[in-house]
Formats: sequence, structure tokens, C-alpha cells
Amino acid sequence: MSTLLSDDQRRTLVDVLRAAFPHDTFPTGPYQRAAQAVLDAAAVNPRLQAQLLQGLTDLDRQREVPFSRLDPDIAAVVLRGVAGTPFLTGIVDVAVVALYDDHEVWEVLGYEGPSYDKGGYIDRGFDDLDWLPDPRIESYGSGNGADDRQEASA
Amino acid sequence: MTRFDYDDSDVVVVIGSGAGGGTLANELCQRGFKTVVLEAGPHLTGEDYHQDEWAAFGQMAWTDPRTTSGSWGIARDFPNLPAWIVKAVGGTTTHWAGACPRFKPHEFATRTIYGDIDGASLLDWPITLSELEPYYDKAERKMGVTHRHGRPPLPANNNYKVFANGADKLGYRDYATGPYATNAEPYDGRPATVQDGFNFQGDKHGSKWSTLVAELPKAEATGNLDLRPDSQAVQILHGPDGRATGVLYADRNGTLRRQRAAIVSVAGNSIETARLLLLSASTRYPDGLANSSGQVGRNYMRHTTGTVWGQFDKPVRMYRGETMAGVIADESRLDTDRGFAGGYYMETIALGPAFFAKFVAPGSWGPRLTEIVDGYLNTAGMWIVGEDMPQETNRITLSDTVDEHGLPVANVHFDDHPNDLAMRRHGLTQGAAVYKAVGAHRTIETPPYPSTHNLGTCRMSQRPGDGVVDRFGRAHDVPNLFVTDGSVFTTGAAANPTLTIVALAVRQADYIASEYRASGN
Repeated sequence: MSTLLSDDQRRTLVDVLRAAFPHDTFPTGPYQRAAQAVLDAAAVNPRLQAQLLQGLTDLDRQREVPFSRLDPDIAAVVLRGVAGTPFLTGIVDVAVVALYDDHEVWEVLGYEGPSYDKGGYIDRGFDDLDWLPDPRIESYGSGNGADDRQEASA
Repeated sequence: MTRFDYDDSDVVVVIGSGAGGGTLANELCQRGFKTVVLEAGPHLTGEDYHQDEWAAFGQMAWTDPRTTSGSWGIARDFPNLPAWIVKAVGGTTTHWAGACPRFKPHEFATRTIYGDIDGASLLDWPITLSELEPYYDKAERKMGVTHRHGRPPLPANNNYKVFANGADKLGYRDYATGPYATNAEPYDGRPATVQDGFNFQGDKHGSKWSTLVAELPKAEATGNLDLRPDSQAVQILHGPDGRATGVLYADRNGTLRRQRAAIVSVAGNSIETARLLLLSASTRYPDGLANSSGQVGRNYMRHTTGTVWGQFDKPVRMYRGETMAGVIADESRLDTDRGFAGGYYMETIALGPAFFAKFVAPGSWGPRLTEIVDGYLNTAGMWIVGEDMPQETNRITLSDTVDEHGLPVANVHFDDHPNDLAMRRHGLTQGAAVYKAVGAHRTIETPPYPSTHNLGTCRMSQRPGDGVVDRFGRAHDVPNLFVTDGSVFTTGAAANPTLTIVALAVRQADYIASEYRASGN
């Protein structure tokens, strides 16, 4: 897949994603992979690629120094300034899918993902929450719940 | 695998293999009817499914283009994805989470009970709960619904523990882990759940009822089922007498095939069913097949929905276990003093980080999104699902956009009714109160997802002028044409629709068997 974006612009895109999805706990890898997903989408979507080419160039001209050298707070302000543009929306739409589907991100968030190969969660804590009492599971007023029609026909 | 000849005009053709079509096909096969099922999507099975939200979405979802219009949030948030339904054998029963409430008596007579609500096209169903009750019993037994007919309840998972404790503190009483059509213990040749989650992604284990794992294999065992995946219906044909004579469809190679038929059932889910009838317009039926009333595509309903998340100081891990396994039914009561007609259920829901980040605040980015996602592990979730008002102008029409076959795609127009907005506000507020009652430090309101409950576009009516099909789902205009999905719902009720779709399909099969002799014998 070809791209007209320069190496500098590709690096800027990673920094845009870091500013758009700021997580102190995330390493660089997921942002780089999300940026690659945006580039892959742009490679087959001329409209998105055009938005990236123009938009990343424009971002670098917003302040005295290129976007990548801005303080995080300033970078956030600059990004808010382009909120709702096809440029930023195009990036966010692709990146939000890629970033949070990244297994390294799952690990940081504490999500364990696919379970079937491990026998599900039945013996791995599906009911291990212990900071609340165990609630009733039967319907209200149901003796044993075996054939409770009250709720259905009430 | 049984194959019937394209020119065999004795067969029943069922278009769609989901809750309605898959159930009807099995019921007819059991009664000796030669049955051809045309399914637009591929034949995926447990081994094929991904326990990965986006991979599964790409594999299962109906992502062919559709267009949207109207004031609903979906037209802004997901303009080309108005519905979240499945294009594969088993239809959306491979995606549903299994909630099985029945309709309540008043929900069959909303025009009478709620009265004349401005802007709403309410109409009483031509049937009552008591007529449907025997079929609810059959459907619940067929599906192995928990809490019913001796089937044990699902255990409490972590998400339910938060939900039920909050409900109790708030004073709700009608909460439980069901009814759900997922096996808590082995039933009907299918295993008990191993709490592996991913019910929305096909359910690899097969402990959740779907037509893929329950109805279609039974139908196939009769030798009367000819299941044709990758077969997109493009037109229902009719003869000079106005009766349906067969179905044109594009096979997996794009080749147009004609299957002749004695009876045709349309069960493509409410958007595609209406689209197919509109696409089947002819000189005799210029406004579309079965549409002399002008009601085909109108009164589209999608339930009043929303999601509430509670974030806590301690872990919840909502993703462990069944995706949905808890219901609060207190707000499903008949009580117009709340400022709206109709009721709603609260049901536990869990998403992985991928879908959570995408859907929690659609289009959002920046700290507003990332602070929410950072709390993922400590998040509990519930879905609000309630009755929405039918409106004549909420409607499926043919779009200017065409699909890969050159056929106009469906445009889905929807404006929220003021009653819908009032109910959603009430539901989101009550949902937040449930979580705050057990110490949530943050609650988040998520707007509706693309519609999973698509209803009403071929509604059932006593008088032919008021709707599209009669009390058995037979088209008022075309005596051998049936509709067998949620399109026939006269009004939507609060209940998740699948149980009722299945009950109606079993009832329709009884009717067809009484009216037509099985030609396979």
C-alpha cells in the first residue's frame, strides 16, 4: 500500500493519536499500531489520505514549533481547535477501533479477552466479586424459581 | 444435504434463517413440508466464531450499505449502520443475548389502553396474550428458557451482583438472573454455559439457543430441509392470480436463480423484509407486494434503548461470564403516571474494551473518553429496553444507493417520539440510581446502539387497510405469502422480541399445516 506521507508526518500522526487518546498507562506500541491502521485505511481511501496530507501539514503550522514538539497541554488545545473537521474525524474513526482492540491495551486495562480456549470464566472468576453480598437470583416471591409465571403474566 | 429442484413448485420457500425463519422451517419440516431456506449470509459455525469483538463484527454483521434519515441519534452516530443484525445462517439469533420476557396482556391492546397518543399510530393486536400463551410455553420449552418449566436460573455473575444489589437498595423487587435462553445446565443436547462470554459473537459453546444450533439441525435431520446459504433474495414472483409463485435470488456466484414455491415466507428481519416486498413491485402490485394498504415499511419500531454504566472503586470485571444475565422488571409495569406510556426493562450488558470505547460516547475522543476507558475494569453495565411508539412516518423506503446486485438498499427513517424521549430519560436516570445506590463514583449514559430490535414494518392487523398481514402473519393481499419475523409486531411491547417471534412462528406453522397439506408425503 502506498502513501504520500513523509516519515515525519507518520511520526506526527502517532503524536496526534497520543494527544487524542491520552492514557498515562499506555506504552507507545499501541499508538504506533493505531497510526499504522490509519495509514492502511488511507492507502485505500484517497479522501482520507488527502485529509491526512493536508491536515498534518496544517497542524505543524498552528504554533511556533511543529506539533510533535508541543507540550501535551498545548497539543490538546491545538487538537480541540480542529475538532469536528473531516481530518480529525477521519483519524478518530479508524483509531478508536484499532487502539482499543490492541492486546497490549487490553492487558493495561486488565481485560482478559478470549476465554473459550481456557474453559471460559466458570472456574476463573466470573462470580468472584466480593465487595457486595451475594444477591438473590430467583424471581421475587418465587419459592424455587422452577416454574415462575408470576413475572410473565403479571 | 437434501436438495429440491428449482422447478419444484411444491416447496415452501423461507427467506431468512433467524428466529422467525429458522423456527418456521423446522416446524414445517417436522410436519413433512419440503422446505427451502434462503439465507443471504454464509454458514458459520461455532469453530468459525471469533472471541474478538471487531473480528466477529466483520464476520457476522450485516454491513451491506443502508442509509438513514430522521432526527434519531443513529443517523448522526452511525449513518450507514442503522441496525446491528447478522448476515449468516441463524440470523440474529447468533448475536442475541437470550433475554426472554413475555409480552404483558395490555401490550397487545395499546391503542385501547394507552389511548390516542398524538403522533403515534398505535393499533391493538388482532390476538391476545391468552391466545399466544400456549405458544409461549412451547417456545420457552424449545429454547430452554431459564426460570421456566423447571429450567434452573443462571448463577449470579459479577455484573449481576452489582446490578441486583443496586436494584434491591433502590427498592426494586422484580429482579432475577433471567429468563434467558442460555443453558445453566445441559438441555436439549446442548451443553451448560462455561461462562465464556461473547454471546454477541456467536457463542462458540452452543449453550445459547439459536436457530443455528437448535432449529436448523433438527430440521435437517428430517430430510425435508434444503438450506441454501449465500443466497440473497432479490424478488418474490407472482402469477396472474396474484399468488406468489417463487423467489428470485442471487447465489454465491451472483448467478440469478429462480426457486418455484407453493408458499413463501419472508423472514429477513424488519428492514430487509420490507425492502424485499418493496423491491417485488410489479404492474399488478405497483407499490410493492402485499402493500395495498400502503403500510409496508411503515410503523418501524426499534425499542427505546440506552445504556447506563456505573464505575466503582473496586473491580467488577463485567466481561467475565454471560454477556447478559440479569433483568430488572419493575419498570415494565403498566403505569402512565411516570410521564410516558409503556414500560421498560433493565438488563445487564457487558462489552469488551474495543466496543466499550467505540460505543460509550460515539465519536468522542480526548480526556472525556480516555478517563472513562481507564475505569473499564471497575465498570458495570446495563441496557434499557422499552416500548417505543409506532409512527407512520418512521419508515423503510428504497434508497437511491444500490447494493452489489444493483438493488436499491433500504433507507431507515426514524424520529424519536416525545414518549420515547421521556421513557429514555426516565430509564437512564433510574439506571444511574441503581449504580449510585451501591457506591458508583461515576455513571455514564450511552445513547442507543444501532438497532438490534427491528419491528413493525409489516404489521399484523384485523382490518386489511390497517396493516400488511393477518393474525397468522399471512399477507392480507397474497394468500400464500407469509411474514415470519418481528415485522409483524403491531406494537413493540417492552420485551425483547425473540421469544415472541419464535412463539408466533410456531403458531404460524400450525396454521399453515392446517391450511395446506404437506406435499412431501
